[in-house]
Amino acid sequence: MPSHSNKRRQARPLLGTIVEITAMGTGIDTVKATHAAFGAVECVQRLMSFHGPESDISRINAAAAYDEITIDIQTYQVLQFAIELGALSDGVFDIATADILVRHGFLPSPQHTVKINANATYRDLELLGEQRVRWRRKGCIDLGGIAKGYAVDRAIAVLRSSGVHSGVVNAGGDWRCFGDAQPISVRHPTAPASLIPLGWLSDAAIATSSGYFSAGSGNDDSINPLVDPQRQVCTTWNESVSVLAQTCMTADALTKIVRLAPEAAPELLARFEAQAVVIDGQAMRCCGASLLQQEARA
Amino acid sequence: MQCCSFLLYPPRALGRHKANLLLSGLNVKHHQWIWLPVAAISTSVYATTYFSAEQAQQVIFPGGKLTPATATLTDEQAERIEKQSGVNVRHKDIQAWKVAEGGWFIVDEVVGKHEFITYAVGLNADGSIKQIEIMDYRESYGYQVRDAEWRQQFVGKTVADPLKLNQDIRNISGATLSSKHIADGVKRVLATYAIALK
Repeated sequence: MPSHSNKRRQARPLLGTIVEITAMGTGIDTVKATHAAFGAVECVQRLMSFHGPESDISRINAAAAYDEITIDIQTYQVLQFAIELGALSDGVFDIATADILVRHGFLPSPQHTVKINANATYRDLELLGEQRVRWRRKGCIDLGGIAKGYAVDRAIAVLRSSGVHSGVVNAGGDWRCFGDAQPISVRHPTAPASLIPLGWLSDAAIATSSGYFSAGSGNDDSINPLVDPQRQVCTTWNESVSVLAQTCMTADALTKIVRLAPEAAPELLARFEAQAVVIDGQAMRCCGASLLQQEARA
Repeated sequence: MQCCSFLLYPPRALGRHKANLLLSGLNVKHHQWIWLPVAAISTSVYATTYFSAEQAQQVIFPGGKLTPATATLTDEQAERIEKQSGVNVRHKDIQAWKVAEGGWFIVDEVVGKHEFITYAVGLNADGSIKQIEIMDYRESYGYQVRDAEWRQQFVGKTVADPLKLNQDIRNISGATLSSKHIADGVKRVLATYAIALK
């Protein structure tokens, strides 16, 4: 009898990408576990989508300055982490740059008509406790740089609590596993058909940001949907930036900081016990903790 | 239920020894940036099969009784579907099943610049979306995706004849494309239901 007698691998279009969930176990219902894990991802999509008019994010973006709104505990926790990262990175990580993404056609124009203060940053969104938030100066947020990683973490938590022995969740490159060690590769940034094997990961996450599939369809094909808050512009890049960390939310968010502020990265990577791997056409460079294994170890 | 995955034209595997030499720099702690050489393996196609049509039916409508209700669109219907959905109708033969307990199961495919995706849409009795499942995901960087002959090789592939999965490239970070084409395809499926099936 093989140890993984029961395996389920399933994919659904969610979070603007394709989410794939794999669950393995013996004597447990992996079908039910996978279904529940997709439910957790759907919940994050419902709460944190920029597009959905009923989402917490849309409600925050539709609120006028000093209007208090109550949001779900999950959204509140993601905002807490996003604002903490904003402070730790000196504003390099800023969720309140959605208006620039809208201007470049990476996000649709919100339906509300509340006027946005162009100088508002993440610092203007106050967390008041008890899941309540309000704007000090009216801004516009998007959790695109962090919510996908959080959704992966939620799906992993559900798989674990379902008794699954080993699991993998991949949301368009935001990836996390537990149980058996998994081999992991990243795409070559200038030749996406070529893969670069990095090694093996166990109980860890990796997120990759790179320009190859995300370039805009507007006038300028070379820009990517990542805003440099200091310069208030969308960035361009040809590198692939991966961050490995304990949680996928951390990995997801740190890729943006490594991309925009490589000089500040070593300190933040050390703080979160994370590792960065940056690949350009010819070489790769890495920094931080050691999360990759050369061989599969249980 | 067992699912399978397979990779076509498995890439030339790196020798284990060479891979270890390259990776040895990656598993040491670094407080500053350090540089390493890059070793890449080439693939031209990445492909995963999740479900056959029968399996997807049972995933979306567990225990349901489904009867084939294939339909062929008239030119006039195809035109109305395109107008209503804003998406091209590529096939006039609709792969649809009626669910005895109420609802529909429809298989559709979308082709992007690099990807070819077959997926199933389950509709509730009132025509709202119940569930969407990816059945097949193919990715290619040559001319192949738009080539009918290339796609034909996947027809009828089921879990019964899986090709060997290359263990070394099972997991890719930064792998999938956006699901925009699927979202467009679903619009077309909903219009097809309203105009030709309901």
